[in-house]
Amino acid sequence: MTILTVALKYLRGRFVASALTSLSVALGVSLVIASVLLSRGIKQGFIEGTTDYSLLVGAKGTPTQLVLNVVFRMDVPTPNISYRIYRGLQDDPRIEVAVPVAMGDAYQGYRYVATTGEYFAAFPWRRKTFAISDGRFFRDDPAEQPSYEAVLGADVARRTGLRVGGRFHEGEEAAEYPLTVVGILRSTGSADDRAIFISLASYWEMNEVSRKMQVKPLTAVLVRSKRMSDLPSLHRGFNVTAEAQAVFPSAVLLSIFNILSLVSDVLAIMLVVVGLVVGLYLFVSMYSATLERKREIATMRALGARRTTILGIVLLESCALAVIGSALGIAGGHGLAYLGASVLAGRGGPVANRFAVDALELVVFIGAVALGALAGLLPAVLAYRTEVAENLAPLS
Amino acid sequence: MIDVPPAVTLRGVKKAFPLGNGRALDVLDIEHWALPAGRCTVLTGPSGSGKTTLLNLIAGVSLPTAGTIAVHDTNVSALPEPQRDRFRARHVGYVFQTFNLLSAFTALENVMLSMMFAGAIPKAEHRRRATEILARLGLAARLSHKPQQLSRGEQQRIAIARALANHPSLILADEPCASLDAGTARGVLDALLSICRGDGTTLLVVSHEPAMLTAGDQIVDITAINRLEDPARSVERV
Repeated sequence: MTILTVALKYLRGRFVASALTSLSVALGVSLVIASVLLSRGIKQGFIEGTTDYSLLVGAKGTPTQLVLNVVFRMDVPTPNISYRIYRGLQDDPRIEVAVPVAMGDAYQGYRYVATTGEYFAAFPWRRKTFAISDGRFFRDDPAEQPSYEAVLGADVARRTGLRVGGRFHEGEEAAEYPLTVVGILRSTGSADDRAIFISLASYWEMNEVSRKMQVKPLTAVLVRSKRMSDLPSLHRGFNVTAEAQAVFPSAVLLSIFNILSLVSDVLAIMLVVVGLVVGLYLFVSMYSATLERKREIATMRALGARRTTILGIVLLESCALAVIGSALGIAGGHGLAYLGASVLAGRGGPVANRFAVDALELVVFIGAVALGALAGLLPAVLAYRTEVAENLAPLS
Repeated sequence: MIDVPPAVTLRGVKKAFPLGNGRALDVLDIEHWALPAGRCTVLTGPSGSGKTTLLNLIAGVSLPTAGTIAVHDTNVSALPEPQRDRFRARHVGYVFQTFNLLSAFTALENVMLSMMFAGAIPKAEHRRRATEILARLGLAARLSHKPQQLSRGEQQRIAIARALANHPSLILADEPCASLDAGTARGVLDALLSICRGDGTTLLVVSHEPAMLTAGDQIVDITAINRLEDPARSVERV
């Protein structure tokens, strides 16, 4: 026998109390792991899901709403802008690429994104690449001859069960304009996985307002300038007009990160409180166990156990509870984070599912064991100081 | 006749317990007392006369206020606490009135724990030796039982096995049969005496059991060696 086996025997001896204490450590660790992984995942999701375009032109409103809506397909849609703005950008010599985007209705909650083939083009400066896993991209059909072809994002195809050749529409009103699936995209890890891409001509024909009023509304134009130095003047040019605004997606992303870091700070404070509560619970559990066991401690001392041996047994018990709780908590935290990310992704939130084990788990594990040792220290000292003679007196 | 040195020698031993407010309770005042080696001595005396305190002092569980206590050649009272703990673990077996078995451990583990604390016997030997002692005490079928699954007589025999685990030269037993019925007490005493006599172990037993008084080699009334007439009332200002 070793003092570790003695400590483990004592833990088994009070199984229910030990299990509950480990569970409380596991819950605390799960919360820490899940919170950190999820906030990392959300941040990474924003980074991976952002656009490669340097400027976004859309209707007046808040820049955050425009970026969230057009790039991340979140928040309420912004008002429309005129097609004329897109034509103006196309003719602007400072512009390398301008891609029109119109967003409207949805099928089973997945937004229609009307655009041109350039949206999927692999420009040398683009990090993001689009590839077809089945079928082909839709055709850039002329305005008067809509093809009603649709390319589905990977998640849309998976969740709706639509396949190439399948026809679909949402509601009676759209029954007249059923869309045909011509292609399914490979997963991009962005909001595009949850979009249904159609041509602008199809969109305008399906849209009652544009059909009746003979207008070609757009939600935004994604812009890439030839030179970085042209960006400020382009930005300023739009923002002095009453019709549209130009925003830098990266600047908006930065402000989103600032908000996220505030949330992270609040979360960190809450997690510290959780850590303290768990530590306190562990302390109370070990303290009451030591008080209950004073006679047995005195017996061990009378049998020749040194004070340091007794101290070691109690500290090992406390650390063992923390080790078991941490191991369970790390596994539980990953499970929680995965579940949270799935729910968030299902609701269209940007979250990267990168929950591989790294230094975080090691740090949390070491921290939890150190907390266990700290919580067990006072009970261990109490056990260390147990006076043999006075605790060996006959019970009667 | 060969003059065998005593197993325990007390010289000028005093023990007082502080009561607070500068007062103390004097419990023992023994000028000189020698416990013969290899024999069974039964210690008797009225309640509160300092019998358990004397056992605790000899075991090195507590320290005398004054005087020296030697177990064989070792002045136990002068040893620093860690050495005293080790000495007790290796040379003194202690049997308690209320058994004091550790409830989370089996009979075998209770005996092995004693060997673990002493560190005198190689680890590989612990299980074999503990099994052997328990078998000698008629507990071969109870090795994996926990104390609460055993009768009181069996529990006390485990406590005796635990005290014998490290081949101690001295066994101190504090009313080992006080909480047993007469028949069980007889069996436990016989087991204790036969093993100690067979191994030549010195036995100091606090007991008022008629069977023990008959079986002991000598009976010592603590009031005959303790110079305090009524320790329970002897409170003095220090």
